[in-house]
Order: sequence, then C-alpha cells, then structure tokens
Amino acid sequence: MSEVSNSSGSDAVRLIFEYSEGKISLVHQQKVDVAVPGVETHLDIRPGHYVELRDGGGASLARVPVREDLAGGAEVFPENHAEPISRVERAAPHGAFTVVVPATAAAQSIAVVRISAPEGEAPPPAGGATSPSPGGPTVTDVATFSLDLKL
Amino acid sequence: MTTSDGTILGTTQIYGSAPRNRAFNVVMLGDGFTAAQQGDLDAACANFLTAFLATKPYDRLAPAINVFRVNVSSTDSGAADPVATGGSGAAPHTYFDSSFGNNGIRRLLECNSTTALTAAAGQVPEFTVVLVVVNSAVYGGSGGSVGTYSLASGATEIALHEMGHTAYGLADEYAYYAGGSETGHDHHPSGEPAEPNVTTNSNRATLKWGWAVAATTALPTMSNPDCSTDDGRASTVPAGTVGLFEGAHYFHCGAFRPEYSCRMRQLGVPFCRVCRQVIWKRIGPLDTLPARTRTPISVIARYPEHLDVFAVASDGRTVSDWWDQNSGWAGWFNLSGGIASPGGTGSPVTAIARYSGHLDVFTIGTDNRVYSAWWDQNSGWSSWFQLGGLVASAGATVNVVARYADHLDVFTTAANGSIMSTWWDASGGWAGWFQVSGGVAAPGATVTAIARYPFHLDLFTVGTDNRVYSCWWDQRSGWSGWFLIGSATARADATVSVVARYPDHLDLFSTASDGRIVSAWWDARAGWSDWFQVSGGVASAGSPVTAIARYSNHLDLFTVGTDNRIYSTWWHDTTGWAKWFSVSGGIAEPGSQIAAISRVTEHIDLFAVGSDGLIYSTWWDGSGGWAGWFQLGIT
Repeated sequence: MSEVSNSSGSDAVRLIFEYSEGKISLVHQQKVDVAVPGVETHLDIRPGHYVELRDGGGASLARVPVREDLAGGAEVFPENHAEPISRVERAAPHGAFTVVVPATAAAQSIAVVRISAPEGEAPPPAGGATSPSPGGPTVTDVATFSLDLKL
Repeated sequence: MTTSDGTILGTTQIYGSAPRNRAFNVVMLGDGFTAAQQGDLDAACANFLTAFLATKPYDRLAPAINVFRVNVSSTDSGAADPVATGGSGAAPHTYFDSSFGNNGIRRLLECNSTTALTAAAGQVPEFTVVLVVVNSAVYGGSGGSVGTYSLASGATEIALHEMGHTAYGLADEYAYYAGGSETGHDHHPSGEPAEPNVTTNSNRATLKWGWAVAATTALPTMSNPDCSTDDGRASTVPAGTVGLFEGAHYFHCGAFRPEYSCRMRQLGVPFCRVCRQVIWKRIGPLDTLPARTRTPISVIARYPEHLDVFAVASDGRTVSDWWDQNSGWAGWFNLSGGIASPGGTGSPVTAIARYSGHLDVFTIGTDNRVYSAWWDQNSGWSSWFQLGGLVASAGATVNVVARYADHLDVFTTAANGSIMSTWWDASGGWAGWFQVSGGVAAPGATVTAIARYPFHLDLFTVGTDNRVYSCWWDQRSGWSGWFLIGSATARADATVSVVARYPDHLDLFSTASDGRIVSAWWDARAGWSDWFQVSGGVASAGSPVTAIARYSNHLDLFTVGTDNRIYSTWWHDTTGWAKWFSVSGGIAEPGSQIAAISRVTEHIDLFAVGSDGLIYSTWWDGSGGWAGWFQLGIT
C-alpha cells in the first residue's frame, strides 16, 4: 500500500511567552509544519498550566501543557552528583516558555489557563472499569491573547 | 547586554536524518564563545551528543531524533560571574546574557530564555527542546524551558535532567526541597500529582505505573521510618526493582517514586523504567508502527470529531493512536505496557466507550488470561488488570457490549473452546466467568455479541461442526440454548459479523468454508433467512467481513479479496446489493481484517494492515468519495 494522501495537514503554531512578576506576555507567534504527539495534546484533564487555542466563540480547539514553573522555583545542581539537588524560590519570578499547538483555520485566540484538581480528589477505586469521581477540575484563564496568524 | 553583543553565525545539523516535522529536534545554542572559540562550542556539542545518545532510552529512539548546533559568536568570552556570590567578577558581553550567581547562588547559571527561544525558533522552527552551552569551566546550570549548562565536567547531566522536565513533564523524584534540612516538607499534601513518575497512591490495582510492578514486589517497597527527614538508607531491593519508594516530589513521606534510583532524583544515574517509558511515549509516536499483520484493529468514536484506534504491534505491544478534528493523529503509543497473546491471528485490543469521557479496553495477555484497562478523561490510562482466573484460548478475541452506560458484558472463548462470559456493573463490580448455555466454539472462532435493546443480547459463533450458532439473553427469561442458523458451513476460524439496522432486525456476515462471503438476516416478523453469497464475493483465506449500517436501509461491507486487495460493496433497500469494488487500490496483508466506522452518516473511516505490515487508513465522504490510503501515525 502506498501513501497517497494525508488525513490532515501538520499546521501548528509555535508560541513564545514571557512572564515576570505574575504577568504573562505573548512575544512570538509562528506557524510551523510540525507534528504534535498525542502525549502533548492528551485529553486527560490534569492539574497544571496549559495553553489553549480557541475559536471565535471561545471554545477550546487544542490544549497543550506548559512545562515551566511559573511560580519561579529553580533547581540548583551539586557539582558532586552524590550530593542532593535542591530548589530555591526566585525573589522575582521571571522567564519564558514555548509551546507548539496544533492549529486549525477556526483558531482565533490563545489563552494560558490553569487547571486545578477537584476538591477532595481521591485515587480511582480498584476493580476495573469505574465511573468518574464526582466533581470536576476547575479551569481558570490566566491570560488571553489574539492570534495574529492566518491559519 | 543584548543580542547586539554577538551574531548568529549559522546552524549545522550534527545528528539525525528524521524529517524535521516528524522528529524530536534538539537545538544547542552557544553563549560566551567568541568567533575564534567556535571550535570549542563544536567540541562541547559533540561531547553532549555522545552522552545523549548513550543514555537509555535515547539510544533506541535515535531514528526519530535530530540534533542541531547553532553557532553564535559573542563579543566577549565566558559568562557573568558576580563577586557577591563568590565569583570572579567577570561581566562579559554575550549574546544570551548568561550569568552565574542568580538568586544569590553561584551555581545557578541562567541565560535570557526569551532570546534563546526566539533564536532557536528562527534557526530551527520545528525545535522540541533548546539547550544553551555556556563557555565557562565553572560548574553551573539551570532548567526550565531552556536548559543551560557550562563546560565544567559533569554539567551535561544537568541538561539531561532538565530535558526530563521540559520535554516530558517528569517530576523531580528527590524527597526534599532545600537539600533535606528544610521544614514543612515532612508529608506530601493530599491529592495525586499530575506528573507520571510520582504518586501518592499506594493501591496496586490503581497505581499509575502498576504495569511495571511485579506481583511479588511489596507495596510500598520502602517506607520512610522518620518523616522528619529524607530516608537516606540504601535500597533494600535489587537495582531496577519497580515499586513504591517513599520520599519524592520534595516531600519526605506520603509521595512515592517508582525506583530507588533515577536521573530525576539524582544526577549521574540512569532514568528509571517509568521515566524511560514516558520518554518513549513522547518520541516513539514520531516513528512508524509495524503491526502484527492479521490481528484485527479496533476503532471507536467517543464523539463524532474523535477516533480511538487500537492495534497490536509486531512485537505484541498493545498500542493505540487517536485522531481529533482539532489536532490530527496523535501517533502510536504503547497502551499501559501491555503485550497481547500471539496465538492464532493474535489477540486484538477491543474497546468500548460507555460514555464520551471513558474507554474500556480488553485483550488476552501472553499468559492467556483476560485483561482490561480503562481510560478516563479525569485520570488517564489505568494499568492492565486481570479479569478473574479464566484461561482463554491463545490469541482469542474479547468482545464487549455496553447495554447501558454502567454495565458491560464481556465474551471470549476458554482454552477448551467453551464460550465464556462475565459482566461488570457499576454497583457490583466484576462478576465471575460462566459458560454460556454450554456452548463450545470451533478452534479460532470468535464470539460476537450485540445488544438490540438494553435488556437483550444476541450472540453468534461458529460451533465445533463449523456451523453458525446463536443464542440470546433476555432480562425476563435469561439465557436461551444455542440454535443453528441456516445450513451453510463456515470456515472454522470465521468471525460472524452482525449489524442491527434497527432493533427488530439483524444482518449477519461471515465466510463459508470455501471463502465465499455469505449473509443471513433475521427479522422479528419473518424469523431467520438462510445464507446467501453476497454479490459473488470471495475473501482472502481467514479475512473476516466487516459491516456497518450508516442508515436503517443501508449497509456497507469491507473485506480483503483473494488478490489481497481491499474491497467494498453496499446494500440499499431500493437497489439491493452492489458489485464489489476496490477501495482506492489498497492492498492488505493476506487474511487480515478491515476495521470500519461511521462517525457521521455521510462519512466512513477504514483501517487496515498494508502489504508492508504498516497500518493505513482512508476515508469516504459523501461529498468527495474515497480518499487515498495514508500511513497511520502522527500528523
């Protein structure tokens, strides 16, 4: 069997954000032809920060995780590897992070969101297939931006 | 200090040949190297590359990895090293403004990460991770979105650890925050961490890395006897044992790591098995998947804009890929470390969505026991768990029906051919296995089930006399006996496919002993028809017939023909059966199956193992007809 066509293109958007003292700015938008693995766009709703692409009505089209400690913690590594790694809190959290989000023509805006675990979350019960635990995580917009690229 | 303090000289790919848009692309930027010192950067990148590719599991993922070196000349050499933190007082002008002494700690070497990310995006737009190599012999580094490290001996370990955070979302596995002397880190807060390599859950059945834990390994494997401090004892189990080791995620107690030792806990040691699996899940999907060629593929649509596909790799790994209208194909990933039974055509992974945020999957393991796992939108994938003690026939298929959202009925064949069933109910959990009305299937035959109503089941199989049999269950009367359908003789290992176009009607499809594609139907008013050949069709030996009903008066069939081409026909109530036609010229493995689904009425998605052993897909749309076949992986 030969590869004749593809089910969809690989359009994606690279976004670079800068954060300082609790404020997040979008400093770079770039259309890129790159595949985004499902582990990045997984649909599990887990606590953490994420970047969403949204359509004109504000609906989420794709969501990828932010892998930066926006609270400003930093690791300090020992020269002797047998000694412990330690962490420090930055006096003034600042830095940058990037994500690549799968994009469709419907995308119009970008949001950095924070997903919080539901109150009193417990591990799923044993015994196989289960119904989900009651309650759900909360999703809060941290910052929103317009998408300037034409997709 | 700004980017005016240097120049980007150019980019060189120093490793890999994977297509950039389907690769794990590492970009290495140099800082504090003058134009005359670029050879030092080249050597530093080469050293990192050697260490990187020797690190498990990168050594086995190399075909999907590219590494790029971006030569950047800085006005001055080195990095800022403030006197206040014990440094030399150097303050060179460099492109990325690298500096030791951040936050009052000399070893905390950081750069301007915005400049680094923007420069990388300009040179290699497809980059995955960025590392900045700083021209200094002073030990230092830092993580975050840009891994920064110096030329000091051992500093490449910082880059490998930080990549664990940046590229894969791995947690720190060490059990302290500030080296162990801090307060307030005795007990981990309640709640399960989102990261894949730390947990607060000590329940074997629901542990997120339960797939890697041997049944003989105690859980917890090591408990901290003194929660006021980090547990500094040596491991009590052999190296490489996966279990629950207390002390992780910055807390002395209450959180566990998978192994005693891991690079995410301590520099200079290998990644643990769980972290290696996470890395594999991120990079592996960028590669192609050779499939177990005759093992059926399963596909379900939890909602119309989403597909979940399940298959078995040539090495027996249970794998999945998914498509979402907004993000395309995700790429193949190993499903909870499962290995499916290789007997016969090989046990498939069968799946069902009781509701849109949940999947239940089933297979037969290499020990020929029945296993299940689930995915839930709120918790991700579970580990595989064994369903009772049934020993199934090698390579058997597990079929499952959800008569309603809180109930599952599961069917398979035991090692002696007995047709077995169990059920799960939200209120009572899993029942024990029982034989269905004394039924025994022919070797290699599957048991097909359908629920026309929430209170009714119909089963179909090929019996030991190679005839097609059925029985039913009704909530009011229980299980019926098995009865013969028509007079045809089926292939002993045939699958009986069934479709209910409406609740009081069934259409059956199978293959006769001579390969003819045959059908029979049942209607509440007229009873059972006898078998008839469908449009003269003959299937490749062992290939089943797949049927879907997009409307109550329409059927679509798919199979592999004797020339191994993929064929389809349809039935419409006003025109009857059409002739078989080749679907976009596709050629499949002999005796393989075609998976089909209609997630919206004017659309069909097909999945098949191609003649090269890779999985392909195509689709039909009412407005555009059949598309070409494309290799299924990541888009």
